[in-house]
Amino acid sequence: MLRAQSALLLVVLFAGLTPAQQIQRTADGKPNFQGIWQVRNRAAYDLQDHAARHGMPAGKGVVEGGVIPYQPWAAAKKLENFANRQTADPLAKCFFPGVPRIMYMEFPFQIFQTPDQIAMTFEWSQVYRVIHTNGKAQPHDGFESWMGDSRGRWEGDTLVVDVTDHNDKTWFDMAGNFHSDALHVTERYRMLDADTIQYEATIEDPKVFTRPWKISMPLARHKNIDRILEYQCQAEAEEASGDFERDLRTWYPAPGSTPPVIPALPAGGTLPALQTATNLRRTADGKPDLAGFYQSNGGGANYGLERHDRDFLTPGTRGVVIDPPDGTLPYQPWARAERINRELPHRGYDDPTAHCFVAGVPRSIYVPSPFQILQPPGYVVILHERMSWRIIPLDGRAHLPDNLRLWQGDSVGHWEGDTLVVDTTNMNGKTWMNEVGDVVSYAEHVVERFIPTATERITYRATVTDPIVYTRPWTIEIPLNRQAGELLEVACHEDNGDLHHLKDVRDEYRAQQKKEN
Amino acid sequence: MRIRNAIGILSMTVLLAGTILAHHSFTAEYDPNKKIKLTGKVTEMKWSNPHSWIYIDVETDGKTVNWALETGAANSLIRAGWKRDDLPKGTVLVVDGWQARNGSPTANVSSVTFTDGRRLFAASSNTKAKEK
Repeated sequence: MLRAQSALLLVVLFAGLTPAQQIQRTADGKPNFQGIWQVRNRAAYDLQDHAARHGMPAGKGVVEGGVIPYQPWAAAKKLENFANRQTADPLAKCFFPGVPRIMYMEFPFQIFQTPDQIAMTFEWSQVYRVIHTNGKAQPHDGFESWMGDSRGRWEGDTLVVDVTDHNDKTWFDMAGNFHSDALHVTERYRMLDADTIQYEATIEDPKVFTRPWKISMPLARHKNIDRILEYQCQAEAEEASGDFERDLRTWYPAPGSTPPVIPALPAGGTLPALQTATNLRRTADGKPDLAGFYQSNGGGANYGLERHDRDFLTPGTRGVVIDPPDGTLPYQPWARAERINRELPHRGYDDPTAHCFVAGVPRSIYVPSPFQILQPPGYVVILHERMSWRIIPLDGRAHLPDNLRLWQGDSVGHWEGDTLVVDTTNMNGKTWMNEVGDVVSYAEHVVERFIPTATERITYRATVTDPIVYTRPWTIEIPLNRQAGELLEVACHEDNGDLHHLKDVRDEYRAQQKKEN
Repeated sequence: MRIRNAIGILSMTVLLAGTILAHHSFTAEYDPNKKIKLTGKVTEMKWSNPHSWIYIDVETDGKTVNWALETGAANSLIRAGWKRDDLPKGTVLVVDGWQARNGSPTANVSSVTFTDGRRLFAASSNTKAKEK
C-alpha cells in the first residue's frame, strides 16, 4: 500500500506534469493568459445548435442543456429578430458587439495581463475590454455601455469576471438572441493546458429569461501569427458605400496600382535632449513604469498643430511644433493649399474623426480624450478612450509588409535608456492630423519618444517624416500627465448625431457648385 | 438637491466658457453670425459621446419649438460628478449658443444657466475634469 502511494507520488512528481501544471504563470503566480486567442466554433452565428442557412454555416451549440430559457414574449421577440437579422443585427450597423458576443466572433484577439488589469484587444473595430483585477469598485456606477463594466477576481486558478452596466442594444449572435439592460454576465476563464482557455459565461437577465443559463467553449491560442490587425467595420462600410471618399493624393494606392517611389527628405533639426527624472517607478525588468491613466495637455493640437488665435468654436491653439523652430509646418505648396481648404465648412464632413473613425498616429495621443498605458511583459499597450488600441511589441520584430496598411499603422518599440522609442509605419493615409485638417499621407513615418521627465509626466515627442506632404521632417512636443482615473467607453459611431449635419453642409455646397457650373 | 450637488462640483472642476472640445469641426456645422439666446424647458437629456445633447421646448409667439442643443462629451460630465438624473424634465434653462448653418432648431451651446443665474455648464474640458 505504502509502496503504491510512493509510486503514485513519483509518477506525479517526475513522470508527467498534468496539463494544468504545464500552464505558464505570471510573476505573481497567476495563470498567464497573455497571447492571441480565438474560438474554433460557430457560436458567432447562433449560440444554439443550428442547421445551415444562407450565409450561416451549420454549427453545434454552446448552450449548456441546449436551450436558451426565454420568457414567452422574449421567445417571440427572438423569432422576430431572426427574421430581420440582416438589418436588425447591431453588427450590421457596425455597433459594438457587447459581452459575451465579442469573445466568440471569428476574429483573433489578444490578451495582455498585468496584476491590476487584464486588457483584451480585438480586431473588430479595434474594440477593447479592460478587466479590472485590482479590487477597486466601479467609480462611475450606473452608466450603461455597449461593452459593460468588467471587474475580475481570482478563484484559485480561475479568473472570474462580473460584467455589469450593459445597455439593451447588443445581441448574443447573428441569430437574434438578445437580452435587456438587466443583463449580468459572469465569465470564468481557466487554462486547460498551455494553449487552451476554457471560457464560460453565465447569463442572468430576469427581464428576458426564466432562469440563468450558461455557455462554455474553449479559446485556442494562435501560434502562427505574431500580431492582430484591424477590421474597422464602419470605415469599411462607408468606403464601400461611397460615404467616405478616397483622396488620391494621400491614401495608399488602390490594389492593382503600383505605389510611387517615396523620395528621401533632408534631415530635420536637432532637438535639445531632455533629462529623464531620477526617481521614476520601475517595472521588474528595471524599465520606467509608464503604466497608468493619462490626459494629454495637447494645447489645442486637435484644432491645429501650429499656433493660432481664432476662437469661434475651434479653440485657439498654443502651437506644439518644436521643429522647425518657428513652429510652422514645412508643407509642400499643394498640401498647404489643401490644409487651408479643409477649414471651409463643406470640408468638415471629410475629417475621418467626424465619422468616428480612428484618429491615427500621432493624433490619437492629443485628441481631447484620455488614454491608458499598460506595460505587460514584452509590450507597451495604449488603450484610447475613443475606442481604439495600439499594440507596441518590444521584441525587435520587423514591420509588416509594405502593402498592409492600417488606420493606426504598425508600431514597434524599444528602449533608449529610460526613453521609450516607438517607430510607426504602414499607415493608410486616410487620417487627418486634427480638425483644421493638417495633412498627412500614407508615406507618414512616425518616431515617437515617450520621455519620462517627471514621476507623473511623460514628455511626448513625435517626429513625422512624410515626403508626399512635407519638405522636411518635423516634430511636435506635448506633455502627457498621469492621473488617477479609469477609462470610460466612447460609443462614438453608435451615438453619432452630428455627421448628417456635416453631410448636409457638404451636399448643399455641392448642389450650389453644380448649379453655378 | 442632486442638481445643486452637481453644480457645486461643476463650478469647482469644469469648465471653460465658449469652447467645446470636439470630435469634428463645429465651424463647419454652426454659423458664427447666428448667435442666439433661448429660454426653455428640458424635455430630454441625452448622455452620449462624443457629444451630449439637451433638448428644450422653447415657446415663441405661442408656438413651441423643440431645440437640440449640442454640449460636451458624456464622459467629461460623468467624470465631473454628473448623474443620469441630474437634469430632470421641466427644468428651465437659459442657453447661449450658435445656431446651425442650415437654420434648423439646432445649436451649439456656449453657456447654460438656470433662471436664477446659476451656471450649469458651458461644455466640458477633458483636461480639467477630475475623477470624483
